[in-house]
Order: sequence, then structure tokens, then C-alpha cells
Amino acid sequence: MRKGRRRVLAIVAALAVAPGLAACGGSDKSGSAGSPEKATLTLYNAQHEPMMKELVDGFTKETGIKVNFRNGKDSEMANQIVQEGAASPADVFVTENSPAMTLVDSKGGFAKLDDATLAQVPKQYVPSTGNWMGFASRSTVFAYNSKQLTKEQLPASIMDITQPQWKGKIGVAAAGADFQAIVSAVLAVKGEAATAEWLKGLKANAKVYRGNGAVMKAVNDGEISGGVIYHYYWVNDRAESGANSANTELHYFGNSDPGAFVSVSGAGVLKASKHQAEARQLVKYLTGKNGQKILADGKSGEYSISAEVPTNPKLKPLGELNAPELDVAKLNGPKVVELMQQAGLL
Amino acid sequence: MTALAIRQVTKSFGPVSALTGVDLDVPAQSFTAVLGPSGCGKTTLLRLIAGFAAPDGGTIAFGDQQVAGPGVFVPPQRRQVGYVPQEGALFPHLDVAANITFGLPRAARRSGERLAELLDLVELGRDVATRYPHELSGGQQQRVALARALAPKPSIVLLDEPFSSLDAALRLGTARAVAQALRAANATAVLVTHDQDEALSLADQVAVMRSGRLVQAAAPDVVYASPADPAVAAFVGAAVLLPGTVRGGTADCALGAVAVAPGAVEGAAHLLIRPEQIRILAGSDAVPAAEGVLARVGEVAYFGHDATVRLQLEPSGPEVVARVMGTRTPAAGERVRLAVDGVAAAFPANGH
Amino acid sequence: MGRRVAAYPPLLLAACVLVALVAAIPLAFVVGYTVSTGWDEAWRLLVRPRIGELLVNTARLTLGCMVLTAVLGTGAAWLVERTTLPGRRIWNALLAAPLAVPAFVTSFGWVSLTPAVEGYWGALLIVTVSYYPLVFLPAAAALRGLDPALEETARALGHGPWRTFLRVVLPQLRPAVLGGSLLVGLHLLAEFGALQMLRYPTFTTAIFDQYESAFNAPAANMLATVLVLCCALLLTAELRLRGRRRYARVGRGAARSLEPVRLRGWTAPALVALFAVVALALGVPMGSLVHWLVVGASTAFPVASLVTTAATSIGLGLLAALLTTALALPVAWLSVRYRGSVSTLLERSTYVANALPGIVVALALITVSIRFVPSAYQTTGVLLVGYAILFLPRAMVSARAAIAQAPPVLEDVAHSLGTRGATTLRRVILPLIAPGVGAGAALVFLAVVTELTATLLLAPIGTRTLATEFWSHSSDIAYGAAAPYAALMVAISAPATYLLTRRTRNTS
Repeated sequence: MRKGRRRVLAIVAALAVAPGLAACGGSDKSGSAGSPEKATLTLYNAQHEPMMKELVDGFTKETGIKVNFRNGKDSEMANQIVQEGAASPADVFVTENSPAMTLVDSKGGFAKLDDATLAQVPKQYVPSTGNWMGFASRSTVFAYNSKQLTKEQLPASIMDITQPQWKGKIGVAAAGADFQAIVSAVLAVKGEAATAEWLKGLKANAKVYRGNGAVMKAVNDGEISGGVIYHYYWVNDRAESGANSANTELHYFGNSDPGAFVSVSGAGVLKASKHQAEARQLVKYLTGKNGQKILADGKSGEYSISAEVPTNPKLKPLGELNAPELDVAKLNGPKVVELMQQAGLL
Repeated sequence: MTALAIRQVTKSFGPVSALTGVDLDVPAQSFTAVLGPSGCGKTTLLRLIAGFAAPDGGTIAFGDQQVAGPGVFVPPQRRQVGYVPQEGALFPHLDVAANITFGLPRAARRSGERLAELLDLVELGRDVATRYPHELSGGQQQRVALARALAPKPSIVLLDEPFSSLDAALRLGTARAVAQALRAANATAVLVTHDQDEALSLADQVAVMRSGRLVQAAAPDVVYASPADPAVAAFVGAAVLLPGTVRGGTADCALGAVAVAPGAVEGAAHLLIRPEQIRILAGSDAVPAAEGVLARVGEVAYFGHDATVRLQLEPSGPEVVARVMGTRTPAAGERVRLAVDGVAAAFPANGH
Repeated sequence: MGRRVAAYPPLLLAACVLVALVAAIPLAFVVGYTVSTGWDEAWRLLVRPRIGELLVNTARLTLGCMVLTAVLGTGAAWLVERTTLPGRRIWNALLAAPLAVPAFVTSFGWVSLTPAVEGYWGALLIVTVSYYPLVFLPAAAALRGLDPALEETARALGHGPWRTFLRVVLPQLRPAVLGGSLLVGLHLLAEFGALQMLRYPTFTTAIFDQYESAFNAPAANMLATVLVLCCALLLTAELRLRGRRRYARVGRGAARSLEPVRLRGWTAPALVALFAVVALALGVPMGSLVHWLVVGASTAFPVASLVTTAATSIGLGLLAALLTTALALPVAWLSVRYRGSVSTLLERSTYVANALPGIVVALALITVSIRFVPSAYQTTGVLLVGYAILFLPRAMVSARAAIAQAPPVLEDVAHSLGTRGATTLRRVILPLIAPGVGAGAALVFLAVVTELTATLLLAPIGTRTLATEFWSHSSDIAYGAAAPYAALMVAISAPATYLLTRRTRNTS
């Protein structure tokens, strides 16, 4: 018993001395405490981290401004920024989808962007307020298992996946902002009553997964026949190994169907930011030629949106998607969450 | 010379009074046992002497130095008392050597000389020094606890029921060894106990306590033979108490005429007769009717070395208990004659 | 005779009140939030089909797992402690080993191999093999502590081994087994990672989904209220059980051991059964982990990231262990040395965290820090406070036991031998309580290194731990990239877990 006690003591002691207190480093709020010459920006990043890393590395190389990441999800971070208010440590906020940007904007969280910066992307990617802007986009797709479904069997509209024949055969990542953005498009195109009805059907038909990647994997494994995701999950997996996409093909709804929705990833400068100039520089970079080129050439699989930069040739051209025309400022996140709660999907 | 003088010490815990006006003198190099039932205040008294608590009133002096009294309180670490608590309370994280030398200055702790001396003193082998408390028997633990208390050569050693947790076989040997070690060390010792045999056999002075008061303090034989009152009498040993009448150095009672201690008050009294004073003369037939009192033998408890015999005095007297040699045990139902040896103690009948 | 009626020392009391207040933050938040949300809104959020669905899901998984872990844990303990099973020492270690593997890692190991484990039955299997050691360890300890004379008496009275087990052994095991499985229940109610990965929605995963969808909105907080109620139910049962439990006093000297039951023909089936348990609990997940480490397509082995996240996890673990122990010590001291209604109340308040899953504590701290202490929001400080609240009970149990090892009489003796307060502290009290308190700190450290839920919500900007990094990769189905972080977590927690389980074995 005594020996055991001693040994435990020794372990505790060893643990205490070992790696020092490396963690302390992450504790204090960065930014203000940075080097004297250049501020360090805090980026609230709800986008895929590897993609943003690539972009931000380019930015830091060009400007010498360092950027700290806080990673999260669209709605979580948007709500967080709203709660934090003027005390928010965030300088720039980037999302995967626009409803989160709209939420922050509606609470007056963003500072207006410079006109020159806004002009770097086509108009449909800028909300009327001009307080934030798109810097990337992604297309809704119906990923299906090509061994289970023929092209003739595919649903014509996203609204059709609530039909009885799809019961238990389709998957969605309901808790994710991606899917919630798609629902916001359905809401914008079809109105509240039809959307509520559609969600109810979805609750009955769909299996819920943790994320788009999981949906695609389930489709590929034949667990389900098809799922609603964004295009780039498939593009990336095919580019890498195809392990989760070899049996899977994409179906683009087109026809201005809400299922052909192209979601806009937004970037904005926080009103609370204490480094306005540097923060604007970052947004300008993300939407400018160099940033867009990194996006188009990179491995993210997302669409660059600048007219000056050709999009990734591996992607179905943006012009052929026949997406529904929607005002990016009108996609309503909180309403979608409420409708999904009512339908029991959340 | 008096090593410890306690005067009018009182102590209470909230509304509960633990000690009321206790006086006690402990002569130097003597062994005093404070004897009393649990809850009588004896442990509180010991804690006051050690300095673990301060008295509410009265004084305590070690030799000519007052250690507790009005405006005076010497903390325990400066009183130089040795303390042996119940169950030893050895430091479980230290081995025997480190336990014993705990109270010594750093240099002496290292030398090991004193350690050897102390191990010898408490009759423990040198090999025990490296063991840990949980590897020792109860008796060994107590000896180590004593050695630890004696190590800094304290002016006085306090023992708080140190043998109560040992089983009977160990208790006797350990107690004797402890008493011997204390004498060899010329220590002044105060032992707190509820065990009469322990108090009577070990101590030079027995102080009997009851309900926070000191009832009697005297040599063991005095306490036994001349207790202060019937309750003390019953507490320090088995007693037969009989009503009687004292007249001129002799008392009349159910056991016939019994000699009483000189100075006893005349008149109605309670007589204290110890069972070993009652002698069974022989079978009733063999003894002339004039000698002794007639009794019928009841239950006999046989212990080997001796036996206790319940006796119903005839024709309708009270029941008494006699202690007889194991070799001369009567049979139950036998009719015998009884006599009383020695002197009985007498207490005034209305006193108590 | 320890009749010390001493008043509470004011400084100590103040410190303890402070600790109790900190520990009470989450509960006060849940209650306060529920009240302020208002009846109508609460009704809208609580009375809807989704809540019913979650309630059913949570209840059937929790109950199912409690029953299965009770059976599995008791059976395994009996085989290992009381029979002629070959290799009992090795089985003992192997059967306790799943404790070192966070349930979300076990879940990852399974689900990355086959999606068949998604849903109720898979979830039941995985949480059962992850949590049965919580029953196995106390049941084994209880079996070791039983007085063999009782069983011998039953045998002498004509009972066969099976009836003896049912009528004599089992009733005596009941407190250990029930206590263990209630603990399993509490763990399950708080479990997030494992179930999220298995696509099995419970209250905890639903709270997280709500959090991701709307941050700390009323919906998440109302779910938290329901979850806390469920936990309180189990905790009350546990407390009542503990109140009635009687501990047999361990006698001095070596206990006589009972003649083990001869398995004879049953040896092979028993070995197969235990092997199956270990294979399901350790073999499959660890094999899967190794598989993803070796052949995973996306495994690039980011050494730098592994080193920094491991350093962060270890650093956070150490700081949290330090803080939690520092908070536990005064309360434990007060409750052991100054018994009374006030000290009992203060002590109990630190156990409230037992009923608070990490997700609730995190939500509470986010909202409280944003509203009342914006400067603390998003700092390591809040994260550490979160850890401290969550793991205070573990530190308390150890600290209390340690302080009880140093009874006041030892201080008396030390004083009588001439040492002063500070010296007594250094030479007697600290050496006595250090091992126990250190073990408590180690428990906290382990818990923090493998903590996922609260860390996900509370980790400040730029803080990446092994658990959060693992989670982010596994969410992207990048199993190969996630595997090294999981492996490191297991590597850090395994040796200490082994020593701690050995320690409980030796002292019980």
C-alpha cells in the first residue's frame, strides 16, 4: 500500500514538472497584446479550417498581419457575437452560409465595408446593407448511391424527397448550418406553410447525420440511397481517394428549384473590432484577386466568386446551376431553427 | 517533590460541565493512575495537563512553573510532556525509528544512539526500527508510542487509556513493560484508565474520578481497603455491602460480628466486605454451630486459580459473594458456615 | 475521545462559502434561467414531440446500460475474484482498462469500422463496454472485502454455491453494484461525444445541436433544465443508497481468503465470455485506432500539432488539477475537522456538480461570464473554473479520505513532542494527506485530458486540446487525421488510470 502511494506521488510529481505550463499561452485575449508594430487579428471562423488557413496564410504573407482563429459553427458563432456585443474579441467573422451573417447584421454587429471592396464581387453576393459580403459559394446537391438509384428515379425537386417512397432512404445533417441554409432557401422560395409541411415530411423520411461528410459516407456505404449536401464534399473526396464517394454521384436540381440553392459564404468586419483597418484589409484580401485565386486553385472545392478569377475547372460552372434567385440578405436563420424545432428535427 | 500540581481546575464544553474543581498532586518520579468510568472527565483532565486545551478556571503547575492559570497558558509544544494516546496514534507515514525520534532535534534524529536506548527501554528489538506502524502488533505499537513520548526526556508522561485497545493477553505484558520503562526512565507518569486492575497494579497513586470531580486520591491499597464512599468501593473492586450497626470497633451484620477500621462512626452503617474476606469454614456438619454463619451454596464460577461462590445466608438473609481458592471449591447446594477475615470499612448509613 | 466542540474558523469558513458559491453557479443558472424564460416560452420549448422522443431515447439507453453494466460488472468481478479462472491478475487489469479510454474514442473506433453500430443497439453495446468498469471495480472490491465466514456459514447451513451466491453474496454486493450502475447512469446522461458519433440523439447531444444552431438560446437552456432534473433523480437515488450503506470495519491483520469456486467445465466458456468483453471494449476500438493510424488515407501525422495540443491538454489538466484541489481542500478540511450542519451543507454543495453534465456547466459559464464578467469571458480562467466545478466531487472524495487519515490526535502528539503549527503541517499533515490529495489531483487531471464537451464550448480562442482536435477531425470523417489525437489521449491516461485502479484495489 505504501509503495503504491509513493508511486502515485511520483507520477503526480512527474506530470507536474513535465511539459511546463504550455497551455497558459492560449489564455489571454490576443490581439491587443500582440507585437507593437502589427496588430494580430482574431478571426471567428465558421468556415472549413484548412481552406481559411490557406487564405489567411496568403494574407499574412502579403501584409505581415497575423491572424488568430476561433473555430466554430455558423449559428453558434453568430449568436455568440451578438451576445458578446461590444466586448467581442472578434475582428472578422467568416461563415459557410449567409443566414449567420444576416443574423449578426440584423443586430447591428457589422461595420460597413468599403465600396471598393464590395465592388470586388458580383452584386448578387452583396446584401443591400453592404455590411458584409460573400467571398465563396457552394451548391446544394442530391448525392445518391449510383448502385441503388438510376437517373430516372432521382427526385425532380428537393420538395419531392418528402414523398413516401423515400422513407428511411435519405439523409440530412439537420443540426448543421449548411442544411439550415438550404431550408432557409426553401422558406424563401416556398413560404412558411409549405416549408413547415416539408420539414414534417422530412422528419418522417430522413435519417439525421452529424455532418455532410457523414451523410455522403452513408450514401456511399448504401445505408441510405441519397442525401442533401453541398457539392464540394463529393468533389474533395473524389480528389483525395474516393473512399467515401466511389459509389456516389451528384444530382443538381437546377430549374431554379430551392434544391439548386447556391449558398454564399460571407465575411464581415465587426463593429466591435479594435483593429478596423487591418480587419478591412483581411476582408478585402479574401474577396480580392489573390484571395480568390487561392480559393479557386485550392483543395477546398468551393466556388470562388470574383469575376476576375476563373473558377475551379473541376466544378460544374456556376452559370449552369440554374440556382433560384434569392436576396442573400433575406435568408432567415432563426426562423428556420424555430420551424425545425417545431418539426422535431432539432 | 511535587512534579505536577492541579488546583481547582474547571472546564466545561458549552453547557456541559466536564471538570468541577479538581485538585491533584503528582509526586516526582511517581506513577499516578486517574481512574473513572467513561465520561467522568479524566481524558479532559489529561488534555488540560498536556496543553491541548485550556482550563476555564484553576491552575496547573509543573514543579514551580505554572503552565495554565489566569493569564498564563503555555502551549503544548513548550510543556515538555510526553503523550501516549489511545491506540498509540503512531505517524503512519513514518517508520518506527522516525516515529521514536520525531521529537528530537535534527542532529539527535540522525545519530541513532538515543533510538537504540529507547528501543531497549521499551523492550523492542532493533529490527523493528525499520518497520511501519501497520506492520506492528498492537502491543508493539504502544511500546513505540511510549518510546516516542520518552525520547525528548519529558518532565511528565501522559498516557490516555493506552492499553484499552489491546486484547487481554497482550494487555498485561504491555502494561508491565510500559510501567517498567517509565520507572527505568525515572519519569513522572499520569495514566488515564477505566480499568481498576490496571490502575491498582501499575500505579503508586490512584485518583478516582466521578462526574467531573476527583473523589479520592491515595495509594492503591488504601483506595481498595478504605474507599471514600460505597460507589468508589464498588468501582475499584467487587464488594459486598451489608447494613449493620457499629459499636465499639465491631459491627453487627448478617455475617455476624465483623471488625471495623478504627475511627468508624458509631451507629447504623453500611459495611464493605470484599469477597476474598469471606471464608468458607467447611461443611455445616463438621463445624460447631456456634462458629460462623450458616449459608447455602448457590452458583459457583470456577476460574482455575480461584472461584467465586454465591451464598444464600440462612434462614433468609441476603445473598453474598465469596472468593475462594480454586482448590477448595464447595459444591452447589452444599450447606456451609462462613466467617469474615480482616477488617470491614464502614460508611454512615445516612451519609451517602 | 474527540469531543472538540470548536467554532468554525472564520477565514476557513469564508473560503468554503466561496467554493460552494462557485460550485453552485451552474445550478443557480439553470434554475434562474428557467424561471426567467417564463411559463409560455418554457411550455412551447418543452412540450413538443422532440422532447418526448429525446426523453424516451435517453431513458431507454440509460436504463438499458445500467442493467447491462450491473450484470456484466458483477459477473466479471465474481469470475475474477472468486473462481479458479486462470490468469486472474491479468483479467483484473484488462477488465479495468476501458476506464482509460474515453467513451467517445471507443465509439470512434467502432463507428469508423462499421456504421452498423449506429442507433440504439449499437449505442447500448458501446456505452456498456465503455462504462461497465464503473461497476466491475466496486463489485470486485466488495467481493474482496466480504467476510469469508459468512459464505462458509451459508455452506454449513446446507446452501450450494449458487444459492450461497444469491442469498449471501449478492445482497452484500448490492450497495457496490447499485452505486456503480447509478454512477454509470449519471455518466450516460452527460455523455455527448460517443452518442453524437453514433447518431443516437439524447438530451445532451440535442443541447449541443441547439447550441450549434442558436448558441445559448432558451431552447438549449430548457433542455438543460430537463437534463438536470434527470440527473437529480439518479443522484437522489445514489445519495439515499449511500446513506443506508454500512461499511464493514476492516479488521487488523491479513484477511483470510476463501477457497475459490472450481469452474471445471465452465472454465472455457468463462474465458470466452471475458475475452469477448475485452475484445468488444478494447480490442475492436484499439485495433481500429491502430488501423487508422497506420493505413488511414488522411494520416499525415502532424507532429507539431500533436505536440502543441498534447502540451495544451496536459497543461490544462495540471492547472485544473491544481485549482480543483485547492478548492477542495478547505471544504474537505472543514467537513472532516469541524462537523456540523453548516460544514455538511457546504460539503454537499460541492457534490451538486455530480448532477451537472459538462454541457450544462459550460452553457451556464458562457452565459454568466458574458453577462456579468465580460472580461473573463473566453479565457482559460473560465475553462478552468468549468473543469473545477465538474471535477470538484472527485477531488473532494480523495481529499476527505486523506484528511481523515490524519486525525487530530496526531497533531496533538506532534505538539506534545515540541513541534509548532507550521512544522506539524510540514512533518505530519502534509506527508499524510499528500498521497490521497495527489491521487485526487491525478483523477482530475485524467478527467480533464479526456474531457470533450465542456472543452468544446469553453476553450478560448486559439486553445486546441487533444480532445477538440480529435473531435474536429472526426466530424469531418477524417478518421485517419483524428486517430493520432485519440491515441495520444489514451497513452496519457492509461498508465495513471492503471495505477489509480491498483491503488483502490490495494486500499480497499
